[in-house]
Amino acid sequence: MTTERPPRLPLRRPPQGRVLGGVAAGLAAHLRLPVLLVRVAFLLFALAGGAGLVVYVFWWVTVPSGDPRLAADTTPTSLQRLAPRLRLRGPVSALPVRDVLIGAALIAGAFVLVAIRAGWDIGASWVLPALVAVGGLALAWSQLDAAHRGRAADGGRTRRSTLVLRLVGGVVLVMVGVLLLIGQDAPVPVLVQAAVASLAVLAGAALMLAPWWLRLVRELGDERAARAREAERADIAAHLHDSVLQTLALIRSRADDPEAVARMARAQERELREWLYTDRTAPGTSLAAELRALVAEVEDGRAVEVESVMVGDCVPTEETSALLQASREALVNAVVHGRPPVTVYLEVTDAAVEVFVRDRGDGFEMDDIAPDRFGVRESILGRVHRRGGTADVTSRPGWGTEVRLRMPRDGSAGPATAPAAGTPTDEDEPSTTADEGART
Amino acid sequence: MTTPTDATPQPTGPVPVVLVDDHHMFRTGVRASLDGRVQVVGEAADVDQAVAVVHEHRPPVVLLDVHLPGGNGGGGAEVVRRCADLLGETKFLALSVSDAAEDVVAVIRAGARGYVTKNISASDLSGAVVRVAGGDAVFSPRLAGFVLDAFGTAAGDVAVADDELDRLSKREQEVMRLIARGYSYREVASELFISIKTVETHVSAVLRKLQLSSRYELTRWAAARRLL
Repeated sequence: MTTERPPRLPLRRPPQGRVLGGVAAGLAAHLRLPVLLVRVAFLLFALAGGAGLVVYVFWWVTVPSGDPRLAADTTPTSLQRLAPRLRLRGPVSALPVRDVLIGAALIAGAFVLVAIRAGWDIGASWVLPALVAVGGLALAWSQLDAAHRGRAADGGRTRRSTLVLRLVGGVVLVMVGVLLLIGQDAPVPVLVQAAVASLAVLAGAALMLAPWWLRLVRELGDERAARAREAERADIAAHLHDSVLQTLALIRSRADDPEAVARMARAQERELREWLYTDRTAPGTSLAAELRALVAEVEDGRAVEVESVMVGDCVPTEETSALLQASREALVNAVVHGRPPVTVYLEVTDAAVEVFVRDRGDGFEMDDIAPDRFGVRESILGRVHRRGGTADVTSRPGWGTEVRLRMPRDGSAGPATAPAAGTPTDEDEPSTTADEGART
Repeated sequence: MTTPTDATPQPTGPVPVVLVDDHHMFRTGVRASLDGRVQVVGEAADVDQAVAVVHEHRPPVVLLDVHLPGGNGGGGAEVVRRCADLLGETKFLALSVSDAAEDVVAVIRAGARGYVTKNISASDLSGAVVRVAGGDAVFSPRLAGFVLDAFGTAAGDVAVADDELDRLSKREQEVMRLIARGYSYREVASELFISIKTVETHVSAVLRKLQLSSRYELTRWAAARRLL
């Protein structure tokens, strides 16, 4: 039976379910005891001469914070599931411990003052410095946990500056307290001298240790950045797998509808390919991306495959958006009336943006189209003409139809295809020697 | 190299082919869909296996996936490079699900004779294999787009001299543009009033430039794509 027992959880202070520092909760998880029992034990020991308190503070300082169940999971990251685990337990709201402690301290202070007033000598010569030192310690150490939480919440600069401020304040308080405690009867100059000397020693030690400390900090930062990157990749992978799973489930449920299956598979394939193999562009900066999205939309709507080829890219303008709308009309026409393969070709040069939409349908005669038919004449040709572009349609029986759209670009060339200025490419005008018709 | 000396009469039997892809399901699918003009004589699933199988069978054509595990991580390009001793008799046709230009161009520059996407129809794939076996280059619209992207489409990007490697001639550019627009070789020929054989010559010349050109234009292109 004992062999069946899972291994003991490591000692950690869990972020959930803690009252003070999570020591009792962590210890309970480690020892597999009820939390309440551990807490009561701590209280009893604390009352019995303060041993419980000392042990508690010791563990608070030395035991790292973290979820013991996660820490026990020694499966390598590469083998773990990609999707993040669901959190089953919500955060338990802890007692407002800090406020309670402050209140207790204030009451104790008042009590001491009253006692002194009543003529009770409590040896104030060491009590006050000790209190100052302990207060400083509490101030400095209380930041240890806050630092952990601040990292998770990514609070930003203000949190960090107050953190440093409190730490410095705590250190100063401790130093003052210790000095007062040690140099009780010493004259002030000696006290100052001692303080300066100890400060000098501390500074020397800090100077010596600084390089190690800096390296440690840097390594920690690097590691953290790597972990963040890894998490991001895992996020992407999880997203991908999730969408693939959904599509597969849909495909299975609609397996008797070949057209729907083909459409879903194609949409999924396109999405996967985009995620896997291309760098995504920021929205609104890429004409090619917009055209690609448009092609995808038409593909999904009509269950016809469209091959799209893009050469060059530029930032979309009003002119190119008119061109895109015309391309969309042409593409829908090609998909509805033509036959596959349907091809879209976008070419962006410094001079112009050109779009070609080609299908292998039966073709039609431009003159056969009734003048009142809006499709080709207005929504494709007119749209481009109005923006200063040119458009024409070639259609032959047995060959198919090709819509050619061209929109000149004004002088302000987009940065996406900024030509490598000053390259020797433009040394000569393309002369007539470039004609290679007789190359056979 | 590009002279059509390979225009020897086609062997009457099916073209033996080695199929290299790391997905078993895909290999099965391709094997089942290829028609009588092509016969799969060997399969491989990673780089090292592919090099071994190709050397063993010495097929006229290898259908090669661009993204392959194993080896030094070079994928399809590494296979072609490590089979360089066979490049005279064995020709590689790149087959990829990736649309990334850099992946495809890497395989072509290593010595592959063409590139088709994996969603190509079965009969088109068989036709492409036969064409590659006959010594021609196979350009899908997408590869033509990559080429235009790499060599530039501006007027200044046109080669002045015939033997210039870093730029396409005007005619080559026109041919590439038409192929990118979805024209078949025959349609390109009739559009430009040249013979199909001339189109094939141009295509082979473009392939050679893509493989041999010094880095100049390709560097610019790679920089624009943040590769370097």
